[in-house]
Amino acid sequence: MPGSPLVSRRLWISALIVPPLAFVALFVVYPIISAFAYAFFHWNGLARGEFVGFANFYKVLFTQPYADWTVNAFLHNVWVFFALMVLQNGLGFLLAYCLWRELPGAAFHRISVFLPVVLSTIIVGFLWKLFLHPLFGVVNISFRGLGLGGLAQPWLGQDSTALWSLIIANAWHMVGFPTLVFLAGMQRIPGEILDAVRMETESEWTKITKIVWPLVAPSATVVFTLLFVGSFNWFEIPYVMVGLEGSPHGATDVLGLYFYRTAFGNMSGSGQDFGAGSALAVLIFVFIALVAGIITFKLRAREIQI
Amino acid sequence: MARMTLSGIKKSFKSVDVLHGIDLEISDREFVVFVGPSGCGKSTLLRLIAGLDTISSGEFHLDERRMNDIAPSRRGIAMVFQSYALYPHMDVYENMAFGARLMGLEKDEVEKRIDEASKMLRLDPLLKRKPRELSGGQRQRVAIGRALVRKPKVLLLDEPLSNLDAALRSDVRLEIARLHREIGGTTIYVTHDQVEAMTLADRIVVMNNGKVEQFGSPRELYERPANTFVATFIGSPRMSLLDVERNGNHLALPGSGAVSVSRLPHSDERNLVIGVRPDAMTVSTDESTDGFRGNVVYTEYLGENTYVYVRLGDGTLVGIRSSASVDLPPDTPVVITVASEEIHYFSRATRERLAA
Repeated sequence: MPGSPLVSRRLWISALIVPPLAFVALFVVYPIISAFAYAFFHWNGLARGEFVGFANFYKVLFTQPYADWTVNAFLHNVWVFFALMVLQNGLGFLLAYCLWRELPGAAFHRISVFLPVVLSTIIVGFLWKLFLHPLFGVVNISFRGLGLGGLAQPWLGQDSTALWSLIIANAWHMVGFPTLVFLAGMQRIPGEILDAVRMETESEWTKITKIVWPLVAPSATVVFTLLFVGSFNWFEIPYVMVGLEGSPHGATDVLGLYFYRTAFGNMSGSGQDFGAGSALAVLIFVFIALVAGIITFKLRAREIQI
Repeated sequence: MARMTLSGIKKSFKSVDVLHGIDLEISDREFVVFVGPSGCGKSTLLRLIAGLDTISSGEFHLDERRMNDIAPSRRGIAMVFQSYALYPHMDVYENMAFGARLMGLEKDEVEKRIDEASKMLRLDPLLKRKPRELSGGQRQRVAIGRALVRKPKVLLLDEPLSNLDAALRSDVRLEIARLHREIGGTTIYVTHDQVEAMTLADRIVVMNNGKVEQFGSPRELYERPANTFVATFIGSPRMSLLDVERNGNHLALPGSGAVSVSRLPHSDERNLVIGVRPDAMTVSTDESTDGFRGNVVYTEYLGENTYVYVRLGDGTLVGIRSSASVDLPPDTPVVITVASEEIHYFSRATRERLAA
């Protein structure tokens, strides 16, 4: 019966739920499924050719030069993940601990640690590219100014330092995020538990490793999982700072750049291969989903209710 | 041995003074209770003794050793917290072993102590449980066990019964008294509940506004309160205070007449406060009786007694314990007689006790 309260309630609920569902279906679910489908076809530019089964997957995993590129990029992502785990999450945990202990100036530092997070990644990339400029960059100028000119390097121009430079730029940008999550986790620990530990030990190390760390396990799950996903989807910072080729000569190539290059081609004219690109995207997606699932499952098990 | 000396202890948080010079001598094996209304500074004092907060000025000695700058874990003091503060990620055994191991004890010794404590506190069947799987009373026992395995010289308890339901409270109270006798250390116990204080303590520290009002045995506090604060704080229902004027051996209360008393303070102050407990007064409807006149406001029937509340001429409300058979409707005019021997005299000016 139109106009009855029950019907209008249902209409209301539908009106609120259907648009976002449609939006997600159109712009999230559909592209993922179509990427899966694209990976099984041969592509001529953007024109779909015949069905080729797993040929695209075979190509990126086992035929040269794709196989070497895939492994190279993948290993760089692994590096990035572990380096950021230490630099970004490790430092974030320590910063959170210091902020939580209300050391002098905590209010100021809380803001300054989190400020870079709200900057756009593109801006941060350009900023660090300028910082690291071999001649005019603030990093090298500072070294020279301190009489340490020998330490000045073409940071983004040589194999040994390029990837690390990107990692440090990323850590600088995002360290506020794990800090904030860990800080929130620490603030949930009741004050009396901390007092109880202080009655038993004065060692900060014991307090951190035996009490605080286990009690912020839920925060660690969030931060680890997001870092894993972020590391293997890493794109903006390398794209802005070193370009699509992962220069110098592939020393900073990561899966994100490699996929983009393969699927859409790049300035230097190498052809675009939508099939191989989609196959890479599917592989990246499956790998991330599987491992992130395992990480979450394993870490959830060690969480406890406070 | 555990003899504690606190001299001139002060504590301020920023510009707010919380404790204004506390002096206490606590002997070995004593059970001392800090009692007072909330905000009186009793928990702050406990935290200073524990070392969780720093002393702003004054000295704290434990067995002749100055403790002001010693870390909490090195004072030989253990504490049981109001919320129990068990480590949620450790089972009961680990909770107790954690502190003992950090003291550098041998593995055997740790096990022996946990064994002793868990026998004493009946924790054996719970050793493998996590704190969230325990009831309030069980958590309380684990918190005490965790303190005991460290064999502290001094055991501090911060309102340990406040999170338990009423039925459990008296059981745990008895348990704490028994433990104190068995362990034989010094115990300091903070509460705002005077019944806990009276039943447990060898001596009670009554605190108010960051000062010690009186330090003495429960009997001293009840029978010879040092001032009107202690007089009304200890005893339930509370003692009534009446502002009277002394005239020879008569005490006059404005609007309620005068009574003659056989016992007066040695001081010759005219303006006095007298304190009378509910059982030191009788209420009578016979208008010719010698006593203060007033009107019944209401009565509380409690089975074995009835409390009669009477409004006196100057507006003071007094509570009188009467036999259960008394049944007086509101507004009945009554006369209250006071047992001279049981009157507490205080100076109106200083509110301090006057010897009689």
